[in-house]
Amino acid sequence: MRKLRMTVSLCVLIGVLGAAAAVAAPLSEFDAANLEFQNKLYDAAIAGYRSILTQGYESAPVYFNLGNAYFKKGDLGNAILNYLKARRLDPADDDIRSNLEFARRLTSVQLEGVTLNPITSLLESMTASWRLSTLAWVSSLLFILVIALLALRYGLAVFHPLVKPGLVVGLILLVGSSYLTTFKYRHDYLTRRAVIIAAQSEVRTGPSEQSDLELQGEPGLVVEVLAETGGYYNVLFENQRRGWIKKESVSVI
Amino acid sequence: MSARTGKRVVLSPLLLTLALGFMCWGEAVAQDDAEIQVSVSPETIGLDEQAILEVIVSGSTQNIPDLQMPALPSFEVYSQGHSSNFSIVNGVVSSSVSYRYLLLPHKAGTYPIEGISITSGGKQIVGNKVTLTVTSRGQSSSPQLEQKAVDAQGSTRDYFLQATVDRKNSYVNEQVTLTLKFCIAVQYYSSPELNEPATTGFWTEVLGNTAPYFQKINGRSYRVIERKYALFPTQTGDLTVGRASITTTVAARVQRRDPFDLFGDLLPQGMQVTARSEPIALSVKPLPTSGKPADFTGTVGRFQIDARPDRTDVEVNQPVTVTFKIQGTGNVKSVAEPTIPDLPDFRVYRASSNESTSKSGDRLGGTKTYEEVFIPKRPGDLEIPALAFSYFDPERNKYESISTRAIKIAVKRPEGYVASPDIPYSGPTMMIGNQAQDIRYIKDQLGDLQRSGKLILLSPVYMLVNGLPVIALVGLIVARKRREKLEGNVGLARARGAGRKARKRLSRARSLADLSTYREFYGELSLAVMAYVADKLNVSPHGMTSDQLADLLRSKQVPDSLIEEAIGFLRQCDFARFAPATPSSDDLAGALATAEQVMVKMEGAKFA
Repeated sequence: MRKLRMTVSLCVLIGVLGAAAAVAAPLSEFDAANLEFQNKLYDAAIAGYRSILTQGYESAPVYFNLGNAYFKKGDLGNAILNYLKARRLDPADDDIRSNLEFARRLTSVQLEGVTLNPITSLLESMTASWRLSTLAWVSSLLFILVIALLALRYGLAVFHPLVKPGLVVGLILLVGSSYLTTFKYRHDYLTRRAVIIAAQSEVRTGPSEQSDLELQGEPGLVVEVLAETGGYYNVLFENQRRGWIKKESVSVI
Repeated sequence: MSARTGKRVVLSPLLLTLALGFMCWGEAVAQDDAEIQVSVSPETIGLDEQAILEVIVSGSTQNIPDLQMPALPSFEVYSQGHSSNFSIVNGVVSSSVSYRYLLLPHKAGTYPIEGISITSGGKQIVGNKVTLTVTSRGQSSSPQLEQKAVDAQGSTRDYFLQATVDRKNSYVNEQVTLTLKFCIAVQYYSSPELNEPATTGFWTEVLGNTAPYFQKINGRSYRVIERKYALFPTQTGDLTVGRASITTTVAARVQRRDPFDLFGDLLPQGMQVTARSEPIALSVKPLPTSGKPADFTGTVGRFQIDARPDRTDVEVNQPVTVTFKIQGTGNVKSVAEPTIPDLPDFRVYRASSNESTSKSGDRLGGTKTYEEVFIPKRPGDLEIPALAFSYFDPERNKYESISTRAIKIAVKRPEGYVASPDIPYSGPTMMIGNQAQDIRYIKDQLGDLQRSGKLILLSPVYMLVNGLPVIALVGLIVARKRREKLEGNVGLARARGAGRKARKRLSRARSLADLSTYREFYGELSLAVMAYVADKLNVSPHGMTSDQLADLLRSKQVPDSLIEEAIGFLRQCDFARFAPATPSSDDLAGALATAEQVMVKMEGAKFA
């Protein structure tokens, strides 16, 4: 018995130390990259932040600082791309929102004529400042509450007068939160969005060089990827114009 | 002849006279009513174009007299036939005849067309006067065009495609206008499909198509469709504009092979044909090196530049948007914007840019508008310097340098301002919008570091947290159902609880397995087996004899061997309890084992 306890304790200790070591490496790289940024060595800072990402880690501040480094370098496309990635992880962060808006105001082309479905707009505004994980856990809590009330009512046969109204309210809240969670998941993760990063990018009417020019893409424009074929993405711009753009001209968020 | 017949003879000439009189009256009225409408379309044509003269004579009679046309010596006049229309509505007769003439002018000038008339009953009715203006804008067919219109055998072509350029020697980035002319003298059935010429080495802008017109080439009238392109050579040396081709369907000249095929000539047969232009070689020379300004960046054409700030009084870190406008003739899309030098007093960001092209004749031009945001770093009277812009004017064959005017900005010190060249100013008014100043500074905390692409929705923890309550709920509901079922069925409840009760009794018997309490031990064993069977069969064990038990088991089709074993064991217990001899410890252990064995076998037996 004592042996077992010792083995378990050892395993836990190794796990904790391993996790601490795993986090320590990105932390030191993050600090080093911040120092490079402060010294205006933006290329070195970008390399530092990207190194953390290539290790398979991510966090909103890493993407945010990376976006700032690209912005300072004058690469508006990659700046906006990383601000968007940061916002997906931490939608409530005011700094991310502020820099993203600022960068998007500086893009060469401001797309106009955007007509959004009012219901979609409402859902977007409702979920804009919430993380997907928060919404998911709220839904989960409500689900457990509903299950508990069902267990009281049908498992333990408790016929308290508050059980039934509680069940109805819980179910309504659960449906609402689940819908918002699904919307957020679809909006942020299932809908493929990309940012134009190439300085020169032609958007054509078909997936080939021979197709007519639809419009000239500009760095920082956000598009929705509808389909892909060969080396081209079929993209939808915010002003509802469609076209085909080379894959290397954009980066998927 | 009866009186009645005599009346008829008298009446018939009378009626005939009346009818003739009526008709003559109608004719006279018709001639009075007749009118002539003359129109020409279009009213202005080129020398190589043609106009349609239409004369409509209308009146209230069926017999409209022939038209008398004046001499039109300035035109070749071809009749295109006439069409008649006659109708009687509510007894009112009306008719009209429409005559169409094709006019091909000989020379430019303004020609009144008048004196078109009809004569009826000695009275002349003259139509209105129209004027046809012939301008010299219509190109006389060039020798090249006439040559192209003739094939190798010397006969004229039904259709052909010609490509021409306005100049074969040009500077790099200077406009060369390419004109494609598709001339067709026969009827075509499908809309011509153009295969654009290859223009490798050129920046190409389509200037558009002109409205189709007619042109006489080698005495034959062709319908001409023109398309023009503005080509801007992007490299020097010998360049080639490739072949263009047009495909359409024309009436086929088919020899009738089958003498019985009567419809062969009636039904037109289509034939797909393709006309190709010849490639055109161009020589593109580099821009002259002499007199080239140091800031020249390759813009060719003729331009003007203007810069306007949206405001000139701001605070530190408040943006001033300067709108630059470059307009003129040339390839506006390739216009290089003037370079903004390093300005220590400003941060500079590009805000927006757009281009609009326009045509002036065949020359392409337009406007390039872009905005630069200048954010002052310090208070004081600052200046955005004049920006120089140079271009090469190919018409004048020389470089031109122009510049914007310098813009003075009065920058005020904001409240709470601390001068620091390195740290971005982040006062309390830092906002996005018109007050935008700079991006917010980097974060020094790594934040919630997580594995890339890890979604909580798909994690095992999340699934477990949501799955366990469901399992618990199902378990509770099943347990409740089972409990309710047992509560409603005593027999089933006893049968299911039989094993548990028996194990309790055996356990109690095991505690009595001592020589001092052997009678109680055997009694407990006996009761355990008896009660087990009674619970299984939902009968009372009290007062039950071994024989009754055997009968019950037999009625439930329990195997005889098992019945005998159970009955034998019960008798053994009874014997041990009431016999005077004291059993040994081994006997007690053996009895316990037998009881367990019997019950295990009973557990496995099926009670029908």
